[in-house]
Amino acid sequence: STSSVLSTDKDKSPASKDDATEGASKRQEDGAETPKQKLLDIIGDMKVEVSYRKKLQLKASEHKNQAMNKLEDVDSEGSVPQGTTEDIQRGKPLNPELVKAASAVASSLPLNKKQTESELLAQLRRHEETTDKQKKGETINIRNIISEMTVKRQSPAQRGARISGHISLEFNEDGQRIRPERWSSQSFDSRSLKVRKRLNIFTKASTEPEHALKTVSSPSIWDLEFAKEIAAITAQPPRNGFEEMIQWTKEGILWEFPIDNEVGMEDDAEFHEHIFLEKHLEGFPKEGPIRHFMELVICGLSKNPYLSVKQKVEHIDWFQKYFEEKKELLQEI
Amino acid sequence: TCKRQVSQTLNFFNQVLPSPYPRQIRSYYVDWRMLRDVKRRKVVYEHADERLRINAIRKNSILPKELQEMADKEIAALPRDSCPARIRNRCVLTSRPRGVKRRWRLSRIVFRHFADHAQVSGVQRAMW
Repeated sequence: STSSVLSTDKDKSPASKDDATEGASKRQEDGAETPKQKLLDIIGDMKVEVSYRKKLQLKASEHKNQAMNKLEDVDSEGSVPQGTTEDIQRGKPLNPELVKAASAVASSLPLNKKQTESELLAQLRRHEETTDKQKKGETINIRNIISEMTVKRQSPAQRGARISGHISLEFNEDGQRIRPERWSSQSFDSRSLKVRKRLNIFTKASTEPEHALKTVSSPSIWDLEFAKEIAAITAQPPRNGFEEMIQWTKEGILWEFPIDNEVGMEDDAEFHEHIFLEKHLEGFPKEGPIRHFMELVICGLSKNPYLSVKQKVEHIDWFQKYFEEKKELLQEI
Repeated sequence: TCKRQVSQTLNFFNQVLPSPYPRQIRSYYVDWRMLRDVKRRKVVYEHADERLRINAIRKNSILPKELQEMADKEIAALPRDSCPARIRNRCVLTSRPRGVKRRWRLSRIVFRHFADHAQVSGVQRAMW
């Protein structure tokens, strides 16, 4: 197991801090046994991680140092076994500190989850920086990501939703329970997908399909489903008659009091538009029975308080079309 | 009615659970005659304006008779269910065609049942 751990560290795979710390603890025990070259390489790996974590802990925005670190990391990433002189120089003063830090982390692992999380964040930050080569203002972005990560962990809304959604009481149409796992995974996906910078937790092969999925589904489906589920969870049955009446009013079953007689009727037209409808009679002949008929129609419409102006105009237009269609037949008469 | 009971029990299940809290939904009409009445009402609503206008042409003494005859033919060509005379004001709960009070849309038996249980607002047993 120790050899496997060493091999994984040697390969520089994005191993979690736990594995690294376990490896470190094991290394401490086996430090005398394993050859020095292997040790140095491993310490070099460890050094990279710890150096980043220390800088972020200090929060000293020394851009030059970070730039240097980036370069060094890039170099170290690129050439693992070689190890530049700068790396070795940086590594050597940090080695005892590294060991101490690693021991502290290992001891603190089972106790404090937050520390492990922060270290994981450090690891992730380092990976992100090494993979992304276009960087400007590193601290700000890192801080954003850190803040986002912490907010995500500590969001009360999500916690409450999680708790309430643990035992899902929702039933599908088929009578099967809706799993809460799906919802939680959706929430995580939505959160992590919205963050533009990739944390590179997963390998690149897996991130690409996520990207594709996001671009396809971001306008609609999963967000809608998530919103629906939230609404369903938050919509509790009414505790008393007042809340029931409130719900009915929102749905439209119950009228709003004091009763407004003109609810739904939005007649913005003035009285003269209702009464003086002769201007709509321009398409008709000026003399004859049709004109006589239409004047009667207008008289009736002007006295009708229940129709809107639009409806009255529609009536007149229909008559106009009807008489135009029948013009040929009328002329025969 | 058994179908209604089944749907009601299913809705009851949904009601017991906290979300999404739906109300009792009537997913079936009482009988086929009620369904046909509902269909007729929809068709009447669609053709109401047309019928009104064509009847305005038919029922006046100003326009020439030939025009009115043509309007007669047109109104006869409309679907038969668009005539409002075909609508029957059935009881809403039991689909009873007779003995229905218009204000409550209920048959006399159902009305009496609810009024005795004090579930009709403003209705009291008469005594004088």
